[in-house]
This record gives sequence, structure tokens and C-alpha cells, in this order.
Amino acid sequence: MIIGRYYIDQKSVVPKIVIGAVIALLALVPLFTTSMVTLSTLISSGIWSIAVMGFILILRTGQFSMGQAAFMAIGGYVSAILTVRLGLPYWPSFLAAGVISGIIALGIGLIVLRAGGTSFSIITIAFGEIVRIVALNWDDVTRGASGILTKPPAPITIGNFEINFATNLVPFYYFMFFLVIASALFFWQIDRSRVGGTFRSVAANPVLAEHLGIHLMKYRVIAFTMAGVFTGFAGAYYVTFISVINPLIFDLWKSVQIMMMSIVGGPTLIVGGAIVGSTVLYSLGNYLTQLPVANVQYLVFGAVVVLVLLFLPKGTGLVDLWGKFWRKVFKEPEEYEIPGEFSQEDEE
Amino acid sequence: MALLELNDVTKLFGKLAAVEDIDLQVEEGEILGIVGPNGSGKTTLINLISGYYKPTRGDIYFKGRKISGLRPDQIARLGIVRTFQSNVLFEGASVIESMMISSRLQYKTSDWQAFFNTRTYKDEQEKVVGNLLETLQLLDIFNETFRPAAALSHGYQRMLGIAAALAANPSVLMLDEPTTGMNHEEAMFVVENIKKINQQGITVLLIEHNMKVLLGVATRVVVLSFGNKIADGDPYEMMSKPEVIEAYLGTETV
Repeated sequence: MIIGRYYIDQKSVVPKIVIGAVIALLALVPLFTTSMVTLSTLISSGIWSIAVMGFILILRTGQFSMGQAAFMAIGGYVSAILTVRLGLPYWPSFLAAGVISGIIALGIGLIVLRAGGTSFSIITIAFGEIVRIVALNWDDVTRGASGILTKPPAPITIGNFEINFATNLVPFYYFMFFLVIASALFFWQIDRSRVGGTFRSVAANPVLAEHLGIHLMKYRVIAFTMAGVFTGFAGAYYVTFISVINPLIFDLWKSVQIMMMSIVGGPTLIVGGAIVGSTVLYSLGNYLTQLPVANVQYLVFGAVVVLVLLFLPKGTGLVDLWGKFWRKVFKEPEEYEIPGEFSQEDEE
Repeated sequence: MALLELNDVTKLFGKLAAVEDIDLQVEEGEILGIVGPNGSGKTTLINLISGYYKPTRGDIYFKGRKISGLRPDQIARLGIVRTFQSNVLFEGASVIESMMISSRLQYKTSDWQAFFNTRTYKDEQEKVVGNLLETLQLLDIFNETFRPAAALSHGYQRMLGIAAALAANPSVLMLDEPTTGMNHEEAMFVVENIKKINQQGITVLLIEHNMKVLLGVATRVVVLSFGNKIADGDPYEMMSKPEVIEAYLGTETV
């Protein structure tokens, strides 16, 4: 399966200087262009990448969650209801969205993760549908199918300098940037720490892990809850950005999209894979919706996933292409040299 | 009082008794061999002690504390660790990686300390890795430390399984047929290692199909047949007991 390849050696093949350069370049994007299309594509891809990181963290424990969009919906609805309907300020509502989404993930996880495996995936699909149907029918709170128009955060004034979310996209871009970096640091650290190793062991051999003193449920629930919190943040910020939430935004297709993004990006690297996958697929999707052909998005996404699975097997994705390219260009040796028949299999 | 005590333990699968009314005392520091023909309930017994199965009737006590009904991870935390009959530990991991994962119980630092990579955690990790390398040295697989676990030979893979169990800091180690599929020489290699482990003060429960292996290592032997304990005592005396011979070879009908 996709899990269980890199246990301790989390070292990304991408050198730190390249990562730093990319981050610096992305931080400067609003200076070069204020084009709506570029910025909004980057903002949305960034937000989706947080949800994908959560998905990959759950995947680390060997579980395949098909209802991640539901947590985005919960986060989105919580922040929309608190700000628009109850009139609370934006930032506390944003925090509340993550916390409530995390609490719901904890509750659901404690029940559903007992099943694990295929049953878990199916129940999470059902959970996603339940959230959608509740949102559709609980008119008093969610305003049903018509949805809620969200308000952007209030302008922040520091001296003469005003940060206004309502009039331009740059503040949205920078807060997305901050959010992605914060989540990336969190997920990267948890993945490379002892906890990440425990997650992998739970996935790779649950029976043995349990007999070596690892409480399986505890770690599955931790991963699911962490993913829930960050997915909730992502959902809350996403609906603020697109300025509306209704039950149709976070449907099963969005959960499937999160899964596809993780496959295309490559779940071996939790941060890199998520960011590459979401950027590539979101931009592609954005382009495809402009074409005059209806629903071509589903077809192309399917084809992309199949191509990635065919040409980059064993859980590697587009992010692993970089390592191959780098080694070709700079003739760096392979990280491990494994003798005999295993050299083929363990090639990164 | 015995270290590990089984009182009238029964495990039923449907109506079939895999293990029936077993009374067993394991004393501290011994190497207790458990033998019996195929299907006599040896592995079921280990599964019951390790918490993988819950006994239908009867209780299991460890250091005077009831452990039947606990989860496997709780029992491992108390110091009873087992190995499995299969070779594969963690797919794709190298020897040292498998050991690192298995060493979870050696850490006293919390997951938060590990997450923030604090100094206490780093110091502890250094100590744990040292211990792991010592374990690998003790079991003579130190030269394989950085090889992928799947690339080891069968015998070494079995040793790695034992090493991983040792990494979990056991006071009682239960070995489930450590010499399956080995020739006599390889089996003797395992036997030597089991003796070494025992010298570290670890009580060993050794399930074995092969009487010859047991004779060389066990201080006491329990013979099972169809889920019942039929004999208990010195290994050499066991060999000559008529009921043991009967269980292994069948009765003489002339």
C-alpha cells in the first residue's frame, strides 16, 4: 500500500534552499500580479492543500477517509453562522470553526474508527452525506438550500495602513499563506516525529503494533481529530473567500477531489504532496470549467489519477518527480543503495 | 507466588474448546517450553495471555494482577510481549527502523515532548537507540542493522521478530515457534539466543513443535494435547511419559 515506505528518514529530496526560494517567490506573488484569476487560484489551492494534508495524516494511520469535505462544511457553517447570524467578530468565529470541527471529528472518530478499513471509508461517505442533508434541511440554522452569504473579516487598521479584506484579494492571499505555512509546519513536524512513526506502524501492521504496546484507537483518533481541526479551519476560510456557503459546495465530489489531490501530489510527503497535488488539480479544474464542454472535469481528473497511478506507482506522486529530476541533473547518488533484488523496489 | 498464573482458562470457538481448563504457573526467570502436536492449543494459549483473545472462562494473573480482559497494548505495557509466527514486521522498513518503531514502550516522554522535539526527548531517544543497537548485538544481527528487513534471510527475520519484541522492554517474552522452517543448525542459533535473553533476567515462554529444540533450552516443559494440559515437569522426564508419547505418536494397537 501507499504507507510504510519512509519510517525515519523523512528527509525530503528537495533541498532546503529550493523550498526556501519557492516560499519566498510565493510570498512575493502579489507584488508581481494582482490579477484576480492568479490570486484566487492560488488562494483556493492553498486552502485545499490544508484539507489534503489532513487527509494524508489520516492515511498515515492506514484509514481512508472519504468524508473530509464534511469537516470543511462544518467549519464553513460554524464560521458563517457565528459571524453572519450571531454577529460575532470574524477571528474568534474562525477559531471556533476549527475547534468545533475538531470536537465533531473526535466524537465521530471514537465511534467510527472502531470499524476501520473499508467500513470506515463507507461510514465517512455516509457522514459526509448526513452533514449535507442536515445543512439542507435545518432551515432555521443553515438557511437550507439558499445558503448563507458570508461576510469578510472586518478591516484592520494599523496607523495609516489599512488591511481591507472586502476590497482586494491581497490580504486574503497573505492570510492563506500564513495558514498554509502554519498547517504545513504542524503536519510536517507531526509526520517526522515519533508520533508519525507510530501512525505508520499502526497502518503497516496493526496487530503487531498493538502487541508492542501501541493503543491503536488512540493514534487513529488523534490523526482523525488533528485532520478535523485543520480541515475545519480550511473550510471556514474557504467560505469566507468565496463569500457563500450552501449545502452544494462541500459534497461527495469534493471529498473525492481531496483524495485525488493526495494521490496526484503523492502522499509520501505530507506537505509537498498536498501542496503540489492541490495546486495542479485545482488549477486544472479551474481551467476545465471554462471550457464549453459540460462535466469534462470529472473525465480529466479521472484520467489524471489513472495516469499518476500507472506511471508513479507505490504511493509516489508528482512531488517525487522532483527528486528524480534533481538526481538526474546533479548526479547525486541515491539515498540508500540497497543490494540485489531490492534495489528496484526501494528506488525512491 | 508465580509471576504469571492461569486459572482454569478455557477458550471456546463455538462449541470447540481450543484450550480447556488450563492451570499454569510461570515462575520468574525460567524458560518454560510449551509443546504439543498441531492443533493442541499452543498458539491459542499465547493469544489468550497476550490479550489477542479473551478467555471464555477463567482468569489470568500477572504479578498478582488480573490481566485477562485487558487489551494487548495494555498487557504489553505491563511487560508481557510476544512474537508472531509470520516473518514480516513492518513492510518497507529496514532493521533499525523496525526496531525504532517497536521501541515505543522504552520511552517515558510524552507524545507532546516528542512532537516538540525537546531536549529530554532527544536525550532519551539517544539512550533508546543505544539500547536497540545493544539488542541487535546480543542477538547477532548487528551486521544487518541498515538492511531492509525484507532482504534478510529467514533465520535473521525470525531473530528480528524476537529483537523487536525485546525492544518493547518485556519481563516475560513469549516466543511463538521461533524455529519454524529452520534446519538444526539455525535452530541451535536461535536456542543460543534464547539462552542469552534468559540470562538478561527475562522469563521466556517458548512454544515449540520440535521436542529436540526444547530439550536443549527449556527448564520446564508443559505438554498440551487437544487443548488440555497432559504433563508438566522436567523436559527429559517428559520424553518418556506414556501419555506424551501417545499424544505425539498415537497409541499402540496391536
